[in-house]
Amino acid sequence: MALKTEEMVLNMGPQHPSTHGVLRLEVELDGELVLDVKPHIGYLHRCFEKHAEAMNYNQIVPYTDRMDYLAAMYNSFGYALAVERLLGIQVPERVEYIRVIMGELQRIASHLVAVGTYGVDIGAFTPFLFGFRDRESILTLFEMTCGARMLYNYNWVGGVSHDLHPDFVPMTREFLKYFKGSLVEFNNLLSYNKIFIERTANVGVLPLDTAVNYGVTGPNLRASGLKWDLRKNDPYSVYDRFDFEIPVGSGEKGTTGDCWDRYYVRIREMEESVKIIEQALDQLPDGDVHSAIPKRIKPVVGSIYSRVENPKGELGYFIISDGTVNPYRMKVRGPSFVNLTVMGELCKGHLVADVIAILGSIDIVLGEVDR
Amino acid sequence: MPEKKREKDLTIAEKLYIPEIVKGLGLTLKSMFRPKFTMEYPEVKFIPPASYRGRPVLVQEESGTERCVACGLCSRVCPSLAIEVQASETSLEKERYPVKFEINMLRCIFCGFCEEVCPEEAIVMSKDYELVFRDRSEAIYGKDKLMVPIRQVEDRIEFLRNFK
Repeated sequence: MALKTEEMVLNMGPQHPSTHGVLRLEVELDGELVLDVKPHIGYLHRCFEKHAEAMNYNQIVPYTDRMDYLAAMYNSFGYALAVERLLGIQVPERVEYIRVIMGELQRIASHLVAVGTYGVDIGAFTPFLFGFRDRESILTLFEMTCGARMLYNYNWVGGVSHDLHPDFVPMTREFLKYFKGSLVEFNNLLSYNKIFIERTANVGVLPLDTAVNYGVTGPNLRASGLKWDLRKNDPYSVYDRFDFEIPVGSGEKGTTGDCWDRYYVRIREMEESVKIIEQALDQLPDGDVHSAIPKRIKPVVGSIYSRVENPKGELGYFIISDGTVNPYRMKVRGPSFVNLTVMGELCKGHLVADVIAILGSIDIVLGEVDR
Repeated sequence: MPEKKREKDLTIAEKLYIPEIVKGLGLTLKSMFRPKFTMEYPEVKFIPPASYRGRPVLVQEESGTERCVACGLCSRVCPSLAIEVQASETSLEKERYPVKFEINMLRCIFCGFCEEVCPEEAIVMSKDYELVFRDRSEAIYGKDKLMVPIRQVEDRIEFLRNFK
């Protein structure tokens, strides 16, 4: 064991490219070794929850998009589902399928950014551009349908804003065909790259009990070896009709729950999403997407907690209604926020350079951490 | 500190680096013949599809008047309170028109609710995405900047009729 030196506090951020936004990490150092990491958040705080109390239920939808802006489709999906459960609305089959297709496309897009930027953190630039290239095709599909590339305002309470364009289904099929090949290339380029494995395998190992204790969800939890996915364990929408696997970390290149596992679970989840979309496109029924949209949303007094499996983990909406057109209270359980709390535990005993590798592997979006 | 098991030993082929460099350059060469997915933006302009939600505009009829009847629904539905409408009476058939119609483009979040709620198809989202202001007061668009001849937004209205 090396000689203990005087501890030093180093501030990483808030303006640092590898923090994926405005996050300040207070890193306590003993020489090159990390003793503790304290994340300081709030630089992007926009009072979303308080703001929601002043708006009616429809007007909140565009603001849910702005939480996890890389997975906007899924945020509004979760919100719409929560309010529909509160109101007791049954949406048409077609809407359910469209939402699943959009949500899974969004999952691919979100994971592409996650693994792409992770490559940049480690020092690989090409996979990042390849990821963005493929994400661009998904954004074009979204743009064709609802007119926006990032903040869609698509999943409304009781339906979706626009029906699918006639070209949407063939274009999505074409994209999926292309994307399968692209994913193989991505794997050869980054996943099995020797330098990449050196930087990520056995780094930032998250044991399963720690993950569960901290409430970590999503790919980070699954990488630690637990098969927990709300799409299977607590099925919502029409997810129970599709056949897909839940990828879990196996410690293929190092220990179960290390950075490489967290990275690779995302890659395999994209493959599973492709499967879901293919099945959903085959089963897509006809119908009117606007028929169940209520004219005026005024739920009865009561509350609801509804959760969905966002690309980052469990996204929950807790809504209390006092019988007026505005929610009395709205609480969001954001996966990025909860996943970030485990940061200090993961970094202990690692080197400074590993902090970046660990932070990138838990894939946070600061728009949702701060809300 | 956890003990790390990391592979350090390289084979002779790996030590030479040349096969790896050739493999890397192979991908570079392959990429050169793939279709480009970037656009040289200021020279080549991105032309959005009809579904695109650019800045909201007021539809100007062939006669030169606006379609808007100043009902104020758009300003009520706007989540970011960006729209201000002041109505007045007119001798035209529609009876009411907006004396003042202002959209604060610093507040607008391009959600498209105004367009969705409009009963007259009078406010639509255009394809205009290049918004530049020199100061804050310039960002408040009045009727002079919002009115757009109906010819320019025809495909958007067509899109709304099909998909809204």
